[in-house]
Amino acid sequence: MLSAIISRECLSNILNLRFIVGLVLCVIISVACVMILTHDYQQEMADYNLRVNLQDEFLSKYAHRNRIGGMITSQKPPERFRPLIIGIPREANLGSFDDNPLPVLFPPLDFLFIVTIIMSLLAMLFSYDAITGERQRGTLRLVISNSIPRAKILLAKFIGGTASLLIPFILSLLAGALYISINPAIQWDGSAWAEFSLLIAASVTFISLFYLLGLMVSTFSRYSSTSILTCLFLWVLLILVIPNMCPFISAQLYRIPSINKIERQVEHLLDTERDELGRKFSREVLKKFATQYGVIYSEFESLEFGGLWGRCSPENRKATQQRAAADPEFKAMVDAFREQINQAWTKANRIQREKAEKISHDRDTKVAAQNKIAKNLTCISPCANFIYVATDLTGTGLRSFDYFDWLDGEYGKMFWPYLQRKVQDAMKKDPTFETNSFLDISDRPRFVFKEEPLRDKLDAVLPYWGILVLFNVVFFVAAFAGFMRYDVR
Amino acid sequence: MLKSIIRKEILNNLFSYKFSIIIILSTILILVSIFVMYRDYCLALENYGILQPKSNEAIAIVPPTPLSIFAKGLDKNLCRSYEIGFAGQIKVGSKQESVNNLFRLFTTPDLLYIVKVILALCAMLFAFDMVSGEKEVGTLRQSLSNSVKRPILMVGKWIGGFISFVVPFFIAVLLSTILVTMSPLVQMDGENWAKLGMFLLSSVLYLAVFFSLGLLISCLTHQSSSSLVISLFLWAMLVFFIPNLGNIMARQLVEIPTVQQLEVKRSQIWIKEVFERINRGKNVREVVGSINSENDKLIADYRNRFDRLVSVSQNITRFSPAAAFTCLATDLMGTGISEERRLKTAVLQYKNLVWNLEGDLPAFAFHRSSIKEVLGFGGLANLMILILFNMLFFVSAYAAFLQYDVR
Repeated sequence: MLSAIISRECLSNILNLRFIVGLVLCVIISVACVMILTHDYQQEMADYNLRVNLQDEFLSKYAHRNRIGGMITSQKPPERFRPLIIGIPREANLGSFDDNPLPVLFPPLDFLFIVTIIMSLLAMLFSYDAITGERQRGTLRLVISNSIPRAKILLAKFIGGTASLLIPFILSLLAGALYISINPAIQWDGSAWAEFSLLIAASVTFISLFYLLGLMVSTFSRYSSTSILTCLFLWVLLILVIPNMCPFISAQLYRIPSINKIERQVEHLLDTERDELGRKFSREVLKKFATQYGVIYSEFESLEFGGLWGRCSPENRKATQQRAAADPEFKAMVDAFREQINQAWTKANRIQREKAEKISHDRDTKVAAQNKIAKNLTCISPCANFIYVATDLTGTGLRSFDYFDWLDGEYGKMFWPYLQRKVQDAMKKDPTFETNSFLDISDRPRFVFKEEPLRDKLDAVLPYWGILVLFNVVFFVAAFAGFMRYDVR
Repeated sequence: MLKSIIRKEILNNLFSYKFSIIIILSTILILVSIFVMYRDYCLALENYGILQPKSNEAIAIVPPTPLSIFAKGLDKNLCRSYEIGFAGQIKVGSKQESVNNLFRLFTTPDLLYIVKVILALCAMLFAFDMVSGEKEVGTLRQSLSNSVKRPILMVGKWIGGFISFVVPFFIAVLLSTILVTMSPLVQMDGENWAKLGMFLLSSVLYLAVFFSLGLLISCLTHQSSSSLVISLFLWAMLVFFIPNLGNIMARQLVEIPTVQQLEVKRSQIWIKEVFERINRGKNVREVVGSINSENDKLIADYRNRFDRLVSVSQNITRFSPAAAFTCLATDLMGTGISEERRLKTAVLQYKNLVWNLEGDLPAFAFHRSSIKEVLGFGGLANLMILILFNMLFFVSAYAAFLQYDVR
């Protein structure tokens, strides 16, 4: 009997106008989205390759030791799921003069739009009259008059309704997947397809949740016209209002001091204040040397410290070198002076860095707290939970930033010791090698972007996925309770 | 006769469940949104106070506009500080939200968003069963069996329905605007009030487009359930699909480098010139001049391409009233893409003025566009698009209703 009700439910949905409209829309939007986003992905990939080549070419010409750090910037390739999900648009938020603000005004359209807006709306349109419609037509009374338990009817309605609802979704996904698999520009490996399958599973959890919500509302309403309005009211709240409001509410519940002000403070600490402190420590060194070395110090001072402290003319620099070569005592003083001045600046750098790190750490703690409040608040909405699951699972969400930073850090652990070794080798080979000399680093380790392991991604998304499942259970139980007491007359 | 139809329509709506639920939803949303955005404006104002440059600092910064409470648009981008470096490089300060990535994932829930997305949906929900619903319950047949003419019935339905929808919206906006403007932090001058008035007028025009579209669908269908399905999907297409996909499409039609690529090029210009100075003995002035002119070339090329991208994007998205309304509303409130382009041009001019000066520097001055400038710079075209959409949908609904089978 269960299968008979399921197939009846499926058939009646499939023959309905909403099914045809939903199917046509889903297929058109999915195919248009995938085609346009794939082209966008190809452009991004070309841009990424160009950036890497630019960097390589530049390093082969201008890699002077002191500035290599500024030239080694890890470039992030476009995410492999870009043909489906854009996630966080980067172009608008890079803090550059040339930020592209268009995505702020018109958020990009992707697979998430199809699931969160189109499919959730379609799910509610399929279920809002599942009970009320049948009551109004009088068929519910006929069905109940048979020996079928109400629980079975509800379950069959849920299974049949969700199955018919998933037909347009799966068909549109298949069209998208086919386009991706035949496009030579997109090379998805096994893990990408596994993520894609999980994404479909998460989407099904989300879509069934909205079907159940519609079903629940239907079991608590007498008329379809009331039921649809309540459904749309809830839909607007859960999809359009709560996720967008919560970050702003959290920013007011937990305030972070002006980011610009903190940035300036840090900059001041590491720049002006560091210089003042460095000069102060250096002057102490000067005072100490004046009492320790007396006459030869005065001579050294008259030679403008050979360029080791303050400004110095090329003549005095040369004269200092000659004097040091001729007099071992003078040379010992110059070496000790260089050492102590270096130590003074290292100390100043360390002190200021510690102060700056404390401020930055304090800011990061506050930011993390605000983020946590916002994320917890948005979890009231299934839409936000689904967005977290979908974007984090496909490496296009909030976690992808942290993961990239971690990868970049790991690369740094490989690159900096390599650079140190290279500098030491160069100094051994050429004694005149200094901070502005060219260093050949063509054999350097290259930054390679590796996808985060699927297990780690799953660990991160499971709590949000769990909330989606919980929503499903709550709505089903509520629908069940409502239907048990439903007056079918 | 027209009067009694309007009256009947208003009364009918006032006592309906639909009216109560839509009015409760929109009133709460408008009040919450304006309050939340007001607090956000206060934070931005506080930030602006902290970042005020000293007389010897070459920093361009503009205060947030109180109109951003209603349409945030790009105000966060506009109110960043632009610090001019000694080689003419422009360092952009971080947005307050830049540290919290969650803001990037969701949309700003300002009044513009509520009107554009939620109230547009409500307008369609008000109108979707105006004809097909009456046909189903049989009252349409009865109305037409009297001496009432179809054009009068149609016009009466439109006026009555739209008034009952739009008046509560006006009351909610008015109430929250009064509450917000009572705060001493919100300083609205005459121009700002005029801009707000224009924004509300364009909102009404925009909502009328969706109301007329709902009515048109109602006149083309015979069952309100079909009318609802078609209405919802057309709403999704017009509000989300066309504007958002059009924007990505424009990027594929205009060749433009990414911001990351520009950043790489910019840092290379700097390092290359420093290298030239150290190893080839270029003097400092020469190096600084080269960095400035190379960066200028890069920016000029990018800005040309970006301007083309904006115009292509606007031309594609104009098929949707939502895009035309977004552009018009944000431009009117001084938080739109045109304002952003104007500000960047002003910052570049300021940079050319001060980059090689020392001591006390001239302060950066920037005034947001007046209504006249906004209308001249594409605003009028967007307004005309909204009027055209209105006419198109209303005339089509009218024509469809004249041929409507009421049996």
